[in-house]
Amino acid sequence: MSGKVVMVIDDEKIVCDMAKIALRKEGYEVETFVDLVLAVERLKGRSFDLVITDLKMKGIDGMEVLRTIKEKYPATKVIMITAFAHLSAAIEAFRGEVSDFFPKPIKLKELVAAVKRAVGDEA
Amino acid sequence: MKIKTGIVLSGFVNVALIVVIAAFAYHDLNRILTKLAFVEIADDLNTLFLEMRLSEKNYFLSNDPGELADIKERLASAKQVVGSMRGDIVRATGAANYAELVEDIGEYGKTFPEAGQDRPPDADAEARIRSAGKKLREFSETLIRLERKEVHRIIDNSTNGMLLSFWAILLSTVALSPVSSRRILNALKKIETLTKSISQGRFDKIEEHPGNNEIASVIRAVNSMSQELRNREEELLQTKKLASLGILTAGVAHEITNPLNNISMIAQTFEQSYGDLDETMRLEFMKKVENEAERIKNVVINLLDFSKPKQSQRLTADVRELVEHTMALVRNMLDVSAIDTALDLPQGLPPVLVDEHQIHQVLVNLITNAIQAMAPGGRLSVAVRAVSGGAAVEIEVRDTGKGIAPEHLSHVFDPFFSTKGVGGTGLGLSISYGIVKNHHGSIRVESEAGKGTAFTVTLPAITSQNFAEE
Repeated sequence: MSGKVVMVIDDEKIVCDMAKIALRKEGYEVETFVDLVLAVERLKGRSFDLVITDLKMKGIDGMEVLRTIKEKYPATKVIMITAFAHLSAAIEAFRGEVSDFFPKPIKLKELVAAVKRAVGDEA
Repeated sequence: MKIKTGIVLSGFVNVALIVVIAAFAYHDLNRILTKLAFVEIADDLNTLFLEMRLSEKNYFLSNDPGELADIKERLASAKQVVGSMRGDIVRATGAANYAELVEDIGEYGKTFPEAGQDRPPDADAEARIRSAGKKLREFSETLIRLERKEVHRIIDNSTNGMLLSFWAILLSTVALSPVSSRRILNALKKIETLTKSISQGRFDKIEEHPGNNEIASVIRAVNSMSQELRNREEELLQTKKLASLGILTAGVAHEITNPLNNISMIAQTFEQSYGDLDETMRLEFMKKVENEAERIKNVVINLLDFSKPKQSQRLTADVRELVEHTMALVRNMLDVSAIDTALDLPQGLPPVLVDEHQIHQVLVNLITNAIQAMAPGGRLSVAVRAVSGGAAVEIEVRDTGKGIAPEHLSHVFDPFFSTKGVGGTGLGLSISYGIVKNHHGSIRVESEAGKGTAFTVTLPAITSQNFAEE
């Protein structure tokens, strides 16, 4: 078990719940947030190895979360997910900054593999 | 009857009247001239008699036989004149009087040879001569008087006839022609009303004119044009709706992708972690799948409902619900574009009589325009309120976008006017305008470049008064 800490942010609770089940199975400690503001607040209190965030949510933009993390917590990896396939191009621009990008619908196995890759748990 | 026939006929009637009047005037004038010639001759006769009497007087004074010769000569002329005027004299004074005149002339002539035999006439003969001469003079004077009277009568008659004809023509032009012109004017008035309503975007029809005249064919043509415009408008409405659908699709994709992703993730978890899940969780998963499917169904129904061609149907509606329904349709588009919303939708506003789908189309159009005018972080405000003391309801859609340049403001409702470059059809607002006008409402715009734009749709409320009229 890696014991690494992963945060999942998505205003769709099911995404949080399913990702949590899949990632816990792989031994990760998972915290989920449907509210971006609370998530950003939580980042101040704990260091996360990886954040999975939706790009577009009510409230703040996922892109801002990325910026905040890169600025304040450069060690934390980021994986972006989004319901907007047409935003792929925009995400491409951040290719160097995000570890991976997944348009919905998400394949859990691919997501888990991407997490492992990002935090260096890949065999 | 065709108008052309009517006009030709009334013109013909007038011309005929004028011809008849001219004929009568010509006839009367001729009679007057004849009469005047007769009066002249009668005047000559009178002069002859007068001279005869003068000679007669001289003869009695001087007993000159020369005077007697003069009298005889004049008497011969008088006889000739009377003979030539026989017809006229008989007509003017009667056959008996004519016979008497001829007899008097004869009598007068006969008296003289007796008197002329170198001796002065006796008193008895003188009296007879004087009496016969006097009678002749009186007769000729009477003749002149009667003929003058006749001339006056003819002139009077002619004057009266002229006056009567004048009134007849006046009547036929002033009283009769308005009958046909009133028909034309009434029809023009109807057509004017119709074209006015067409120019305001209402494609009404007017009552067909009976008959087969020009007015009827004009009305038929205008009606068929109106019908054609109505058909085109319906096509246009549908086209524009499909265009709005394109804009809505971005929001809709997001709306469908999320529940779809949820279902997919639940299914993957169900399959991959089946053993880790207890009975309750599995059931809960299936429940969630059902809920997510329901979400998709609602999105699809909403979208289909919006895009389907609709029979126009006006029903009582609450503007607050209309706006809420529209907001549900555009909610995701607003989220995608990161637009804040502020709604002011008080309850208890007077109801309106509207085609809900058409008003949705107007609101979707105004809101998509607002979204396109704003950068992320903009604010869309939608407010409804009663105005004119409850006689109307206003829906205001306000954005904090780039605004409309003052020189463009007066054109925003023109068809094919667009400030969106190749992206805009320029039909959205003109169709919205048409829809609102069709609802007897109005739409207005205020804008300040750089600060934002507000469109306000005003719809007449159903009051107990106008509800009774409907």
